[in-house]
Amino acid sequence: MKLKAAFLSLILLVICTDIFAEEKRFNIPIGDSPQKGSAEAPVTIVEFIDFQ
Amino acid sequence: MAAGPVVKKIVDTYKSKVRLVIKNYPYKYRDYSHIAAEASLAAADQGKYWEMHDLLLKNSPKLDRESLLRYAKELGLDLKLFTASLDGKKHAAEIERDKQLAFDMDLYSTPTYFINGRKVVGNRPYEYLKQVIEEELKNAKK
Repeated sequence: MKLKAAFLSLILLVICTDIFAEEKRFNIPIGDSPQKGSAEAPVTIVEFIDFQ
Repeated sequence: MAAGPVVKKIVDTYKSKVRLVIKNYPYKYRDYSHIAAEASLAAADQGKYWEMHDLLLKNSPKLDRESLLRYAKELGLDLKLFTASLDGKKHAAEIERDKQLAFDMDLYSTPTYFINGRKVVGNRPYEYLKQVIEEELKNAKK
């Protein structure tokens, strides 16, 4: 019984680790912010900037 | 702070594969952060955002009002319009909106990048950003 519980915990841990390994992605509205390049580009870089 | 040359190199290298979007996150305790953000957007109104962006990064931290007016003149902007925009804080609401976005995501430092939503904090070498972009391009092809 103990072994079974330990085994289940292990499985649970593996599943959780896997879920959290998937990096969080933020969804940032582009709006009318200054931009360069095509809206169709496969990669969008949003940069938060401070000029000083 | 902003990365400038590294990001520029990324955009120049990847061209049509990359879009760069700028959000303003002026730090409230720095003297010229806000007015510089205003200057960049005032230049945008006259179609010269990126020219001003580059000048601001190049000349930072020399970003007092007189210097900003000089950069505007250098870019051949309509100075009357530019000055009115700067002094009237025409883009304050837009800048606040960007700041609110940053607050909502618990952002505290600049530059911070979101590459297809993946957060990258601080100045990074070219190779680092390149690797993230390559991964994203691979994902896009799937």
